[in-house]
Amino acid sequence: MNIVLVGVSHRTAPVNIRERVHFPEPKLVQALELLRSRYELAEGMILSTCNRVEVLAHTPDPPEGVRQVKDFICNFHQVPYETLQKFLYDFMQVDAVRHVFRVAASLDSMVLGEPQILGQVKNAFNTAQSAGTIGSDLSRLMTRAFFVAKRVRSETSIASSAVSISYAAVELAKKIFNELKGKTVLILGAGKMSELAAKHLTSSGISKVLVWNRTYERAVELAESFKGEAIRPEELFKHIERADILISSTGSPNFILSRADGERIIHLRRNRPVFIIDIAVPRDVDPEINRVSNIFLYDIDDLRNVIDANLRQRQREAQSAEEIVRQEVEAFLEDSRTRDVTPAIVTLREHWEAIRKEELARGRKRFGELTPDQEAALESLTQSLMNKMLHGPTSELRRLSRQSASEDPLRIIKRMFGLKE
Amino acid sequence: MSLILLRITIAFYSVGLLHSFLTIITRKKTLFRVALFGIGSGFLAHGLSIVYAWIEGQHPPITNLHEALSFFAFVIVLAFLISYARYRLDSLSVFVFPLVFILTLAANLISSPPRPRPEILKSLWFYVHIPTTFLGYAAFFVAFSAGIMYLIQEHELKRKRPQAFYYRLPSLEVCDDLGYRSLSIGFPLLTLGIAAGALWANKALDQSWAWDPKIIWSLITWLVYAVLIHYRLSAGLRGRRAALMSIVGFVIVLFTFIGTRHQGSAHSFIQQ
Repeated sequence: MNIVLVGVSHRTAPVNIRERVHFPEPKLVQALELLRSRYELAEGMILSTCNRVEVLAHTPDPPEGVRQVKDFICNFHQVPYETLQKFLYDFMQVDAVRHVFRVAASLDSMVLGEPQILGQVKNAFNTAQSAGTIGSDLSRLMTRAFFVAKRVRSETSIASSAVSISYAAVELAKKIFNELKGKTVLILGAGKMSELAAKHLTSSGISKVLVWNRTYERAVELAESFKGEAIRPEELFKHIERADILISSTGSPNFILSRADGERIIHLRRNRPVFIIDIAVPRDVDPEINRVSNIFLYDIDDLRNVIDANLRQRQREAQSAEEIVRQEVEAFLEDSRTRDVTPAIVTLREHWEAIRKEELARGRKRFGELTPDQEAALESLTQSLMNKMLHGPTSELRRLSRQSASEDPLRIIKRMFGLKE
Repeated sequence: MSLILLRITIAFYSVGLLHSFLTIITRKKTLFRVALFGIGSGFLAHGLSIVYAWIEGQHPPITNLHEALSFFAFVIVLAFLISYARYRLDSLSVFVFPLVFILTLAANLISSPPRPRPEILKSLWFYVHIPTTFLGYAAFFVAFSAGIMYLIQEHELKRKRPQAFYYRLPSLEVCDDLGYRSLSIGFPLLTLGIAAGALWANKALDQSWAWDPKIIWSLITWLVYAVLIHYRLSAGLRGRRAALMSIVGFVIVLFTFIGTRHQGSAHSFIQQ
């Protein structure tokens, strides 16, 4: 399993370097073909996103492979090696496997746990496959990498919490209402920010959008874009109780909602909860309203705090994810070692089978005429003799392939032939 | 045989206990699948144990404290499995598993040789009274757990600094809904249980039974839940206050079940 990986990423290189070695989509196939034809790398794959450019290859000689891949990158992009040198990282064998797993599982991403990377890795794999540069080794590695990513996703909650303001708002809404289907959002103040937040909420399943604005025309305009309902400026408090979620971003210098308003709203709603998101600066909603039972008020700073907490949560989850990666690298290596030894076992058996046939043919003459039964007995006798003799060496080969530490050759031979130690 | 099966049950339930323990300490879901399997297998063993006890004693095994505790644990697991099937709430396990373990362990420790049951227990009403009351209590326990989860999650949301609970606990809506559904199942069961108990006592005992402390406390329990359900339906009471009332209600249930056991009461036959 001789795998090498060379690349640059957001961890090692600034964007002006990353963009110089970026492989644009249309040029990928061409690049892969060059990699195979000119550099004699049996298998290869290129992952090129805005945060990382990595070339993965299978080669008989890893250190030489690394040199070749580096040469390939510089050559293809016409960048002198001296410029790139300090930004490039390279991994061989186990380290390369681990790196591939970590990247696919989004443990090396700029935003830990972000979900796009897995799709990008899959695309890179598919492109390489259609370019014909994926053989059995890389195929096995990448299939395992996708499996690792899936395991990390389902066994840890590394990617389950929101890391943007809009998604944090949606996530909080779900922690209150469980689902947004059938819920109504009221937008106070038809600004850009509130529009964006409303967009996220509607795409997360909210059923109805109400828009209120000081100028009614603007409210109508925005309401139309959400197939919602505009509310006349003087009728706000007639409709406000209909809203399960309130997004406020008016330009008002004073609070437009007081604690007393909040208490009245909850009374009218028969205690059904209200989630208020105040993204206006200066704020639109009196913070005291959060003390009203069943009202949950978040301003822009509160949302940022939630995001910070979510990021810390992802960090904690990353530890369990790293453990999964560790197990999978181990399993992959063991699998590879057993695979490496299989051809040797086959050759060994073929070799002795040939000797058996040869010896049998030579000795056969001396037996003279034999009945078919005796013929068969002779055949099975030699065969079982051979099997018994090969059993020791075969199982010893398998056993040795599973462990990496070297052992005393004498002990190995003794064990091979079943001698007492 | 039923005792051996009950010990096997304990072993299975201990996996659940371990899960709750580790989950609380690490604040991460730990061993949940294993624990769920343990609780499921324990539930089967437990069911078998009750069936065997029934066959061995030739009457439903709910006539002494040992049997009552075991049966109570059994219906709580049943209530958990039903709500898990409906809501997939992992967090509920943290409340349920320890209680189930303790009840089963207690049942094991005070196990007494089967005795002939007292004459007064040979009534059909008695065998309606106990299971319905216990099932009602189990439902109230689920409502109690849902109430606690609601209060914790509400606290997290109001405080705006999400910590482990925020991520692990279900949404407020789910807690509230689970609490409400448990009440609407538990309340009719308790009502039926009390009614069956009264009918049975009327036949089996003299008039003095009505002033038994356990009966008085049962009526208080019934009143608390009646008020809660009334306000939920008529005034839309929900959220924090409803959660608090579910918790208070269950504390009174516990008091009724454990606190009012003393000699000379109509329920004293269950004591030894």
